[in-house]
Amino acid sequence: MAEHVAHDDHSVAHESHSTKFYWMIGGILAVVTALEVGIFLVESSFSATMFLVILLGLALIKGAGVIAFFMHLRGDAKIFQFVFLVPLLFAFSLCLGFLKLFSNHVGIAG
Amino acid sequence: MSSSVSHGTGEAHQKPLLGSMGVDSRKLGLWAFLGSETLFFVTLITTHLIFYARTKATLAAAGTLEHLDPRTHYLGIELTTVLATLLLASSLTMVLALAASKVKDWKKFRVWQMATILLGAAFVGGQVYEFIHLYHEGLKLAPQYVLEGETVKSLYGVTFFTMTGFHGLHVTIGIIWLIATYVKVAKFPDSPENPMDIELAGLYWHFVDLVWVAIFTLIYLI
Amino acid sequence: MAIAEQHVASAHTNSPDYEGFSWRSWLATVDHKKIGIIYIVVAFAFFVLGGIEAVLMRVQLGAANNTFLTADTYNQLFTMHATTMIFLVIMPMNVGIGNYIVPLMVGARDMAFPRLNALSIWLFIGGGLLLYLSFLTGGAPNAGWFAYAPLTQNQYSPGAAMDYWVLGLGLTGIASIAGGLNFIVTVLNMRAPGMTLNRLPLFVWMNLVVSFIIIFAFPTFTVASIQLLFDRQFGGAVFNPAQGGDALLWQHLFWFFGHPEVYILILPVMGMVSEILPTFSRKPIFGYSFVAYSGVAIGFLGFIVWAHHMFGTGMGPMANAFFSGASMVIAIPTGVKIFNWIATMWSGDLRLTTAMLYAIGFISMFIIGGISGITLASSPIDLQQTDSYYVVAHLHYVLFGGSILGLFAGGFYWFPKITGRMLDDKLGKIQFWLMMVSFNLTFFPMHIAGTEGMPRRIYTYEAGMGWEIWNQIETVGTFLLALSVLMFLYNAIKSIRSGERASNDPWDASTLEWMIPSPPPSYNFLHVPTVTSRRPLWDAKYPHAVGDEHGGHSKPSNVRYEYTDENTPGAKDIHMPTLTFSPMWLSGGLTIAALGFIYINKEILGLPEGIAALGFIAIGIVMVFVGIRAWIVDSRRDSPYMSSHH
Repeated sequence: MAEHVAHDDHSVAHESHSTKFYWMIGGILAVVTALEVGIFLVESSFSATMFLVILLGLALIKGAGVIAFFMHLRGDAKIFQFVFLVPLLFAFSLCLGFLKLFSNHVGIAG
Repeated sequence: MSSSVSHGTGEAHQKPLLGSMGVDSRKLGLWAFLGSETLFFVTLITTHLIFYARTKATLAAAGTLEHLDPRTHYLGIELTTVLATLLLASSLTMVLALAASKVKDWKKFRVWQMATILLGAAFVGGQVYEFIHLYHEGLKLAPQYVLEGETVKSLYGVTFFTMTGFHGLHVTIGIIWLIATYVKVAKFPDSPENPMDIELAGLYWHFVDLVWVAIFTLIYLI
Repeated sequence: MAIAEQHVASAHTNSPDYEGFSWRSWLATVDHKKIGIIYIVVAFAFFVLGGIEAVLMRVQLGAANNTFLTADTYNQLFTMHATTMIFLVIMPMNVGIGNYIVPLMVGARDMAFPRLNALSIWLFIGGGLLLYLSFLTGGAPNAGWFAYAPLTQNQYSPGAAMDYWVLGLGLTGIASIAGGLNFIVTVLNMRAPGMTLNRLPLFVWMNLVVSFIIIFAFPTFTVASIQLLFDRQFGGAVFNPAQGGDALLWQHLFWFFGHPEVYILILPVMGMVSEILPTFSRKPIFGYSFVAYSGVAIGFLGFIVWAHHMFGTGMGPMANAFFSGASMVIAIPTGVKIFNWIATMWSGDLRLTTAMLYAIGFISMFIIGGISGITLASSPIDLQQTDSYYVVAHLHYVLFGGSILGLFAGGFYWFPKITGRMLDDKLGKIQFWLMMVSFNLTFFPMHIAGTEGMPRRIYTYEAGMGWEIWNQIETVGTFLLALSVLMFLYNAIKSIRSGERASNDPWDASTLEWMIPSPPPSYNFLHVPTVTSRRPLWDAKYPHAVGDEHGGHSKPSNVRYEYTDENTPGAKDIHMPTLTFSPMWLSGGLTIAALGFIYINKEILGLPEGIAALGFIAIGIVMVFVGIRAWIVDSRRDSPYMSSHH
């Protein structure tokens, strides 16, 4: 059927990365993980804030890599980005909001 | 009107693959489900972080943070690095399996899909080992833990096991899904829906890996 | 081709799965219309149960120092009344009407995932039955519908009641998330040609918004209730302050879900009213985009106001100010909707049918509830009112005066489409006025009693507090309210048996569901309509009416009345999913496993601790796997790929 053919085109258009490309992404993610572990092992040579920022940054890179390339969200239909990234944003806000509400600074946690 | 009947009835077959949004319905549903799942896991992670922060504050106030911090004493970097690497590798093999299925290279698909299943199983095995190990070390699903003979009142263990346990449950469901897809493709190699079946199982699998990326950093490292 | 031929052959033997009643045709159905009807019927049954609980409580409170109910029974009743009305009545009633109407409105032949839809209905029923089973096994949950910690911990709630609550709601929660996903994909991906998002009927818009709210809000509740369950079953203490847990964490997690939940209850009803008002005002909705996007705004804002339920906990000035302000901002999109509804009726050619009366009643009562809501949003005022009957008055004005009156409006509007018969309009109007009067008799005095200091959730009170007269009026009102519900039940049963036959389009309406027969054939549309405006059926009927760019033009379109049934030529070639019991196996298995989980460290059936529980869990898991296997087989048989390629 016409639609089916169109569907195949659509998939190929967005997911035509070569296997070499996937190996490369996998390699980068492995390097980032190694970096994370390395930084963890030399924690004392960073300030607490730096340590946090670097590790969160590396985790974001890893997560973005998985979402964008392994899950092919980059370049896929916009609606997939909407139904996944909007709740992800909600989730980040939930986490930050709750950590703030339960921090000693706001102090409702007693 | 009757003249257009035959035309109209044909429409039933025309649209099932791509809908009015131009996408596959199952894939859209799965992406929305994964969106919902992010809130599930972030809530679990957040409650854990809240109680870990509280435990640290209590220990710091008592001047015992150095030798009673549950994270530094229970969560070794070695095992978790192995676990993280296993899941990351399984994500790579998964995407290679999908790529193989797109070009109908079923032999390669079977190799990569089986590799994904085995890596996933190794992860679950590692987690079971970790749980047993922690249990013997004094960290349990209980509102206190025992370190160096001292009992510390803390929710660390409860929220840790709930969070990682539900992640492990998701990995297990993912493995079952991957096996089901493997079997189905083996049984019906000509089925035109195979690539989409594999893609859906893969999306779920990558998501499970993604959750571990977050847990690895937020729970084990920071 | 073999499968298609088989399908045609079985269909020619007079379609036993649709014409005439058989248990199989209902229990194994995947038809969104039948599933919708099951939702509606079951929700109405729970409405009667929840109503009986309310009447019992009002009898107890009708006089000071009354001893009709014990304190514990009273606690069980108010907990179950609220839990029932929220999770087992308004939500499933919305879902039921949505299930029936949304696919018709977007021009689809079914929901996106018919089997998942069937799973939702049976999980919902399983969860509801599990919840009510608690009455027979040592008492129902009695910690209030928001189950505040640490009241829900083992030492304060011994027995299995709270475990029933957690797992019963857990099952309905899975049903809701599955349903939410199904609606999202249906609305986004199953629309007929030309049905752009900008042309979606507002009822569909609101269902889309609510579905997103459901899938964003429910996971938090799921996590909180899992942690509560672990507290109770495995000694977790997450919400037990005595052991280092945090009672306020429960409140935050619960209300992060609980406040969006109230928009889950009201937004679909606002969508219904937005369909009914234009139809009976003979005018398009005023400010379509504003009505649609204010619904989106309400849905979004609903996620950042949860802690206005918690001003009484002393969160500090920063948090209070934020949540007060955010809550008041919600008045803006809500006000936008109300003014648009009024403007829709303004200078319209009003036809005051019962449905229209209920829609207008909805607006009036919801305004009162909205205004008391603004007082509650203000944290200093709320501190005076919190946990008083003023709150009870407010929530009933928005949930009964709002949701329930709106659902009656929707009920009268779509009853002809669903049953093929008209409800008795004269009886309906009498019943409407009885309900309006008795509703206000029941709930308005609660404002006063609350302001005079009557706390909520007390099972009795001393004489001489100045509350007796208000409570007596409320109790009388409740009996009249119950009478009006019974009148509706009588009207519905009488009309189904011998009501006037409904045509395709009894109200001269504008949306697609009215172009097909009442009730529609299993496949809905013989020709999938091509939509060219927001009001496709009005355009077809009144091609020369003056319109704007979104309607009133006589653009070419195939929208016209269809007079079809199961035997219409061509109908047999429409490929519809076949009957399957797999969703029932799955949901039955999950329900039985949940029952087992309740008793994992409690005795049941006289067996030693845990033995019966493990048995139930094992049976449940086996049933789940049977269901999954059957599901895979059936979905392969029905797969569109299969039928189009072989």
